[in-house]
Amino acid sequence: MLKSNNPVLSVKDLDYKVLENQILKGLSFEVQAGEFIGLIGPNGAGKTTLLKCLNGIYKAGGQIVLEKENIRGLSARDIAKKAALMHQNITINFPFSALDIVLMGRYPYLDRVRGESKRDYELARKYMEYTGTDNLENRPINRMSGGERQRVMFAKTLAQETELILLDEPTASLDIAYEEQIFKISKELCGKGRTVIAAVHDLKIASRYCSRLILMKEGEIIADGPVDVVLNSQNLSKSYGVNALVYRNRVTGMLDFHIHESLHPQKETRIHIIGGGGSASGVIRYLFELGYQLSAGVFAYGDSDLNCAQVYGIGRIACMPFSEIDNKSHKENIRMVKNADAVVLCNMPFGRQNIRNLEAASFAKKLIIIEDEGAVGRDYTDGEATEKYNSLRENSIVVTYARLHEVL
Amino acid sequence: MSKNVYTKIKIVLPVMAAALLVLIIVTTAFGSVNVPLRQTLGIILKNLGFASIQIDSRLESIIFYIRLPRVIVAAIVGAALSVSGTVMQGMFRNPMADPGILGVSSGAGLGAVTAIALGITSKSMFFLPLFAAVGALIASFLIFMLSVRNGKVPVMNLILSGIAVSMFLSAVTTTILKFISGNQVKRFIFWSVGSLNDKTWESVEIIIFPVLICTVMLVLLAKELNVMLLGEEEAQSVGLNSSRMRKIMLILSSVSTAAAVSVSGTISFVGLIVPHILRLIVGPDHRILLPASAIGGAFFLLACDFVGIMMPREINVGIVTSLLGAPYFLYLLNKARSNAGNLR
Repeated sequence: MLKSNNPVLSVKDLDYKVLENQILKGLSFEVQAGEFIGLIGPNGAGKTTLLKCLNGIYKAGGQIVLEKENIRGLSARDIAKKAALMHQNITINFPFSALDIVLMGRYPYLDRVRGESKRDYELARKYMEYTGTDNLENRPINRMSGGERQRVMFAKTLAQETELILLDEPTASLDIAYEEQIFKISKELCGKGRTVIAAVHDLKIASRYCSRLILMKEGEIIADGPVDVVLNSQNLSKSYGVNALVYRNRVTGMLDFHIHESLHPQKETRIHIIGGGGSASGVIRYLFELGYQLSAGVFAYGDSDLNCAQVYGIGRIACMPFSEIDNKSHKENIRMVKNADAVVLCNMPFGRQNIRNLEAASFAKKLIIIEDEGAVGRDYTDGEATEKYNSLRENSIVVTYARLHEVL
Repeated sequence: MSKNVYTKIKIVLPVMAAALLVLIIVTTAFGSVNVPLRQTLGIILKNLGFASIQIDSRLESIIFYIRLPRVIVAAIVGAALSVSGTVMQGMFRNPMADPGILGVSSGAGLGAVTAIALGITSKSMFFLPLFAAVGALIASFLIFMLSVRNGKVPVMNLILSGIAVSMFLSAVTTTILKFISGNQVKRFIFWSVGSLNDKTWESVEIIIFPVLICTVMLVLLAKELNVMLLGEEEAQSVGLNSSRMRKIMLILSSVSTAAAVSVSGTISFVGLIVPHILRLIVGPDHRILLPASAIGGAFFLLACDFVGIMMPREINVGIVTSLLGAPYFLYLLNKARSNAGNLR
């Protein structure tokens, strides 16, 4: 983060309590122009409360300085010219048209007597076009779907034309297409120097669009920084109390998460998994969730199984692709096999490069072979692998993947 | 809608005002003795100092001293109730709200019964409305104070304490009724069903200023009321100090309603029906809806009173509004249900 001398927003020791409940506990952070901050954290972490404190709806203790002015000295109208907040779940029971609603965003700029000027109408229409709600102009707001209403409220928030834009779960009731749209627009606005702070519960979308994340839990900031620094397994388990795996999705190239509940306590039993070519991923996930101590190998670099082993953070051996398993990896593999209480040989293809995996498997105390398809069909070594495979098969338990649970 | 709100104001309001004027003249002219419309207009203009013509002095006193004050009171009370209703519905974002929430009726009732029980109503005709007005204001104030939390007035608190306080005050009123004479009870019941009978120019003097001032101020706050429809916090995000605005509006509406009820007794449903009908006609924008409610409320109550007078035996205006209002209210409820709770 670049630290400049005049942040758009500077928060120091922000405290907020309701009766005896301390909702926000001494929060401090600074926000620079152009940042797109995602406020993340579990329900009840205080995200919404923080947003409402930032624009003065809740009177918080500590210091909130908005564009060099302490908000305590500002009227609601002054604050409304500096920060606009889009609330969650607005319901309006009266048939105001979308345009009327968006025009309400111009309220802080109206004078006592005169109505909206031509410029106010221009701005309202401009932001309706920008958010794709111009076709809703004359539709009554109480007859709209939740998503349409949300987008109209977004246009209203933008029509306030503030440096700082606060969004509270802006995409809560939106289709995925519009969900992306609100974030895209926000990012675009940040590119033009405006600043957005959004409470987001969808971590994937937050990681994709935000330039910085603030992770909260129980009224405190647990982590604050660039996306890949904040989003890691430790932080997520600390705040959400779940076992989360953070990895880069190989299809989309974006950060992705796998949340799993650890229903099963950690077991002492050690299992080594031999696989490759994607055959081991499901097995690794399944056994990991059952709580076994796992290791896996030997995989070639670039194999998705290796990626999977990485995500789950288990011991693994990797070697260069398109060449035979080197001696060092092979020795390590044998050591792990010997060390394990059981070895699982996955339903993998065999070639010259990985045939030494079969050799290593022969050292197993207890060998479980997953066989969904006969070895012949997966043999690319002209029979050599099939021969070794069949001799292994004699002294081992052979199951299909679907029935793996029966032999554990 | 909003692009032509000012154009709409320029067309709708004069038309409504003209209709109201016509109705005022018509309702003044007809009754147990029918006076030709021309002559009625002549009498009114003459007594306001605009014309000098020779007229039968008996007709003159019927028109100017008996009928006209009653008509004017009806118009003012109707305007006050319906503007307050519009404000309540907007402020609480609830199309079912009406000035009754403020406990005005029950407070005025207690005030009225107190005045009757003390036997001071015969000393001066000002005592009954004065006591009723004071009772109404005390009830509103009590409800208001009971609902304030951290300087804000949450809707639910207001409604619930409104119900509780109203119940309590009504119980006190009923208890007092047990101890007073049959004649006094009759007097109270006559007052409580809402009547415009026997209203004089003094009654007009009592209510015209509080109602006029409060109504004008509320109409000037139309823009703020529009923004408050978004919700208290949302309104604050666009720069409206909504908790202060809510207090101001509550005070203005209770003063105006208290003044009206003090001379007319309880008249229900005007504050509910008129805003609803007008919202359908002129739309929800308070810049036009509030003045339209004032004129429309006056028109409605005047018409109801006229219907009551024209019956073989005169029916109190409060009964007429309830007879019309209750079925309409049920219709609204029904529509709300079939409309997934979204009332227009």
